[in-house]
Order: sequence, then C-alpha cells, then structure tokens
Amino acid sequence: MKRKNLIAWIMTVALAMTALVGCGNKANEESSDPPAASSEEEPKETDGETEATQITYMTNADFVETLKPIVAKYKEETGVEVVLEGYSMGDLFDVIEVKISGETTDYDVIAVDAPLVSAYVHRGYLEPMTDYFTEEEKAKLTETSVNGGSVDGVFYSPAMNTSSVCMYYNTALLKQAGIEIGEVNPENRMSWDEVLEMARKTLDVVNPDKTNGIYGVEFRQVSRVYQMNMIPNSMGGQNIGEDGFTVDGVLNSKEWIDGMTWYQNLVNEGISSRGIAADELRTMFAAGKIVFMVDTTSLTNYCETNGMEDFDVMPVPAYTGYEDQVATGTGSWHFGINYASANKQAAADFIKWMSIGEGADLWYEGYNQVPTKIAILEEMEKDANLDKSMKIAAYEANNTAFLRAVTPGFNEYQTILNAAWEDVRNGEDVETTLNSAVEQIEAAMEAYK
Amino acid sequence: MKVKRKWIPYTMLLPAFMLVCIFKIYPVISSLMDGFTSHGHFSLEVYKSLLKDATFWNSLWVTIKFNLICIPLQICIAFILAMFANAKVKGIGIFRTIYYLPYAVSLTVATMIWSLMFNYNSGVLNSLLMKLGFSAQGFLNDSKQALFCIIIIATWKGCGYWMMFILAGLKNIDGEIYEAARIDGAGFFHTVFKITLPLLKKVLLFVCVANTSSNVLLFAPMQLITNGGPKNSTDVLMYEAYKSAFKYADRSRSAAIVSVLLAMIILVATLQFFLLGEREEKPKRKRKGR
Repeated sequence: MKRKNLIAWIMTVALAMTALVGCGNKANEESSDPPAASSEEEPKETDGETEATQITYMTNADFVETLKPIVAKYKEETGVEVVLEGYSMGDLFDVIEVKISGETTDYDVIAVDAPLVSAYVHRGYLEPMTDYFTEEEKAKLTETSVNGGSVDGVFYSPAMNTSSVCMYYNTALLKQAGIEIGEVNPENRMSWDEVLEMARKTLDVVNPDKTNGIYGVEFRQVSRVYQMNMIPNSMGGQNIGEDGFTVDGVLNSKEWIDGMTWYQNLVNEGISSRGIAADELRTMFAAGKIVFMVDTTSLTNYCETNGMEDFDVMPVPAYTGYEDQVATGTGSWHFGINYASANKQAAADFIKWMSIGEGADLWYEGYNQVPTKIAILEEMEKDANLDKSMKIAAYEANNTAFLRAVTPGFNEYQTILNAAWEDVRNGEDVETTLNSAVEQIEAAMEAYK
Repeated sequence: MKVKRKWIPYTMLLPAFMLVCIFKIYPVISSLMDGFTSHGHFSLEVYKSLLKDATFWNSLWVTIKFNLICIPLQICIAFILAMFANAKVKGIGIFRTIYYLPYAVSLTVATMIWSLMFNYNSGVLNSLLMKLGFSAQGFLNDSKQALFCIIIIATWKGCGYWMMFILAGLKNIDGEIYEAARIDGAGFFHTVFKITLPLLKKVLLFVCVANTSSNVLLFAPMQLITNGGPKNSTDVLMYEAYKSAFKYADRSRSAAIVSVLLAMIILVATLQFFLLGEREEKPKRKRKGR
C-alpha cells in the first residue's frame, strides 16, 4: 500500500509540474542577450533573402478596417500581399511578448507603441533600419518621430503617425439642455469647471434618474496612462523622474493626488462611468451616450463612418489656476521589423511605403491622425479646409504635447499605473493607491538599473 | 531466457518513459533552473528579490485565501451534488447532465458570461438587487468582493466535474452495507459520516489533490476580467507568473514564482495524502498476562 501511495504521490507531483512549466519555460535562450543597440551594426545579408510575395503585419485591431484598402493598394502596386493580424490593444502587448520573444517567423512587421521602442530594442525584438532607410529617407519624417523610434542613435522604428487629443462633444444632447458651444480655440480654451457645469446641466435633462446610461465626461482611453496622465500633467505633475526610473515623489506628489481625486469625484458623482472598458467608449459616443469625450483625432473619422453627425470638437479644457500648464497626450504607433523575420527586406519596403510613401497619405486620409511625414504636414499648413480636429491637434502637438514616461521599464510602469487609475475609478483611496503603485513600480525598475 | 523476460516490461515502457523525460521532466528541470539563473549565471538573486517584493507576498496571500475557500467549497458542493445525482429516481440522467454541463462550457466563455452578469452598470445581478431595493454592488470592481466573484465562477465551473468522480465512487459502494446500516437503525448523517465518507476516502483523496492542482494554477478569470485588480485583490501567484513571463519578459522571476507554486502544491498534496491516505492498521499488542 505504501508503494502505491508513493507512486500516486510521484504522479501527482509530475502532473502539477507539467502544468506549471508553461509559464516558467524559457522560450528564448538569447533573450537576455539581445542584439546591442549599437551604432556599429553589422550589415545584414538581405541579398540572399528570397523575394517574398506575402508578409504578415501584427497590429492594433482598431487599425485593421482602415488598413484593409491600403494594403490592397500596396498589393496592386507591388504584388506583395500584407496579411493583417489585429489584436485589441491590451492583448497586442502580450502577444508581442509571447510570440516575438519566442523568435517566431510568423510575423514580419509589428506595431510598436512609441514608449515601448526602447524596451523592445533592449529585448532584441526589432531589426535596425540602418540598412533599409537612407539619411534622405529618414529626413522625410519629423525629427521628433525619428528620435522617438531610435535607441542610442540607431533608427529602429519609423512612425505610423503621431497623435494628439481634443475634446469631442455631442451637440444634440447639449441642445436638449439648451446649451450651444460657440467657437473655442486653443487660445481661449474653456476651463474644466465650465465643461463640468454644462455636463451636469445636460445630464439633469437627458438622464434625470440616472438610468439610461448617459455619461457627462469620459476619457476614451480610460484607465490608460496615455490619456489619464494628462490630468495630473495639466496640474503640473510629471510622469517619471529625470533618471527614467524614479517614481517616488513623482507619482505620489500633490499634483497626482489632486488630479486623481478630481477624476474620482467625477465617477462618484456619476458624471463619468465606472466599469465600462476603454474599448466600449467610442461605440457609446457614436451611439449618443456621452456628452463630452476626450479622444484622439481619429474619432472624427470613426463618427463619420458610423453615421454619427451630432458632434463637434474643441481643445481640451484647462484646470482653473493651471491655465498655462495644459498637457495633452502625444506619441503613437510605430512600425518595427521582427528581428526573426525571414522577409526583412519585404517588411522594410512595406514600412517605407507606409511611413514616407503613398501609404502614409492613404493612412492619414483614412484614420485622421496627426502625420509624421513632413510632406503631409506641409500640405496641411496650406489647406484652408483642414478638418477642425486636425487644426486643434496640430496646435496641441506643437504647444501642449506631454511625453509619456521614457523608461526601459515602460511595460511595468503602464501595467501598474493603468491598474492604479482603474482602482481609483472603482473608489479606492487615492493616496494609498498611488503609494502602492509607486512601491510596485520602484521594485520593478530595479531590474533595469 | 529468464533474464530476457525480466527486461521485456522495461523495454516496452522505455518509449513512453523517454517521451515523458523529453517533454515533461526536462522542461520542469529547465524551468526550475531558470529561477536560479540571473544574467546567465547561477544566482539566488531572483529569489532574494522575490522575497523582498511586496507584490509577491500579496499574491501569495491572495492565492492561499482563494484556495482555502475554493477547494473545500467545491468539494462539499460536488459531494452534495453527487449524493443527489446518486438517487434512484426516474430521469436522474437529465439532472446529472445539467450538473455536469458547466464543465463542458469553455472557461473563457464561462468567465465572460459571469463577467456580464457581475457587470456594475448593466449586469443582471445588480438589476435584480436594485429591483429588490438594495444598492448596486461593485462585484468585480470592488476589492472586497472581486475574489469571491472569481470563487463563484470557479466553483460553478468545477463542481460538476468533481461531482462525476465522487458519483463514480458512490456507485462502487455496495448497497447491502447501507441496507445493513438501515436495519441497525443508522440515521442519514450517521450513514454519511460513518459509511459513505470512509468508503469514499480514495476518491476524495484524488479529488482533493487534483482540485488543489487545478485551483492553485487557475488564473484565466483573473487575466480576462480583473487583471489582478481591484487593488491587487485577485492577483494570484499564477497570474503574477504570467505577467512576469509574458508582459515584462522576466522569465527568471516567472520561473521562481512557478517553483514556489510547485512547492506549495507538493506540500498541500503531501498533507492531503497524510490526512486521507489509507494507512495499514497496526496489529494490536497482545496484553501480557499477569
């Protein structure tokens, strides 16, 4: 009997061990030794690469519909088919970590969020663009975007576009409350107090018993640092210390506590929602369920595509007493060549077409984000009929854009801070939440020092 | 000839043993070694930093709390369901199928369905509570309730599965024993505690150990609906290991956490074997004559 028990015991342990190894198994022996971010990269043997007729682009699911006709055009011109594989924003980061760290050859081009360029280079996920982009070609992109896609002077990741945010509002809902917003420009932007007053008045009319799911003010990228950090940033708060690691004294500063408390009060008052995910908010705005929503300029095209006409746009408001410190989100998605791709030349050709070629023009027309291709920016300046949101965005990009934390530990930073924003939204004590986030981020940053 | 016969079973076992070694034992050893590797060298650094990490201790506590409630709850409900399903009435097969049905639903689908029901704004549970005059509950958005919501999901999903094993055990108990007990005047509870449970010991041991492994490693609901929140209240160790490996690309930390989990499972399984395993009865000492 004892022997039987021993065998059963061994089998159980073996079973448990087998189930456990999924996470602990080292998928990439070389992951701790990535290709160095050095300016002396050896030339790659791209000549021996067979000409690819199909490449795969792993991207944000939000982009897929707009990209479809663009990649069809690319196929028409070059004969190369670009297969789009879209993942929701939250999943995309995880899929990149899983697949690209495993040296998969399934993907040739990957979407890279601007603040993650440094981390991906550090982990050896990206092929340098040194052999694919000449200095003249790089000069066709804004200097800021080239710097954003470079690490230690090596260019890795051309920008798809940059971004800026505006305040969108539902004119039909405001009209029901007898409110009409006149012409507002960045020089005479509204205050948050004025906006909240209008939101309250409107909700009193359109949602008096708070049962029909209409909200007054939303941040489209709720509980994500890209848009939420704008709140403390607009009160003078910073995102990270100057060394790129320290957050103690930064994220738990008075500006952050005030900013998060202000947002929590909006949720507690029922002006902003609780429990609704970021991915649902655009649909809600287009369905007439949100009075004011902070979002990137691409919401204009989203509304037009979805038949939403009762909307207008103005610059994001300022906090009273901090009128000269308005901060807006910036930076966006870049392209990267998967280091393990077997079709690097074809991937580079596509990226070049999308960032400085005809693809960039089509993407700008289709998605309405602030471009990084200089030629488009020059045309925009001359265009008297330029879309209103784009005019505001161009101003904000030049005057109020506030960079997200620049740190190799951005993934940890954003995961922990996103959770902190969500916790505060759910009613947790602001100061305790921020102190806990600081403690976690500081511990995570140790690995990069 | 005798020697040849002796080696036949081992030879036949060899291919399977080799496969187990290559695909199971080697990855386990490799994973354990990863936990002791820092920058390509043997080091205790990963464990040192893990032990200093408040997030790890919080996750360990959440894991223990989750399992302390979930495992006994699942086994008790599974046992009660099995007792019901063992009844000899017409159409009992339909009930057995209904009890088992949640297990046939994929965990992802089940999690998403429950997340819709627990939704703060439009969930059916809050609508019901409000109709009855109660205030809306945070459920998955409340740090005091989220873990219990996950326990409900895991219990709903798992009970039917564990019920089937217990039911099989109940079917193996000879009906004559119950008949004898009834004639001797044993009541329901007396029968359950003195006959059913002792005779189900082996089955319960398996259910306990397998259930422990399954629940200690559960993290899909946390990943899908709470992301370990609110306030890290559902951040179990397995999810922390997942985050380390697949969000932060820190495989050493992930391997170290997984090793801690492995130690936990071994410890609990050993305890369960000790408590529920059958022990050989020691022969009573003969009384020495005066």
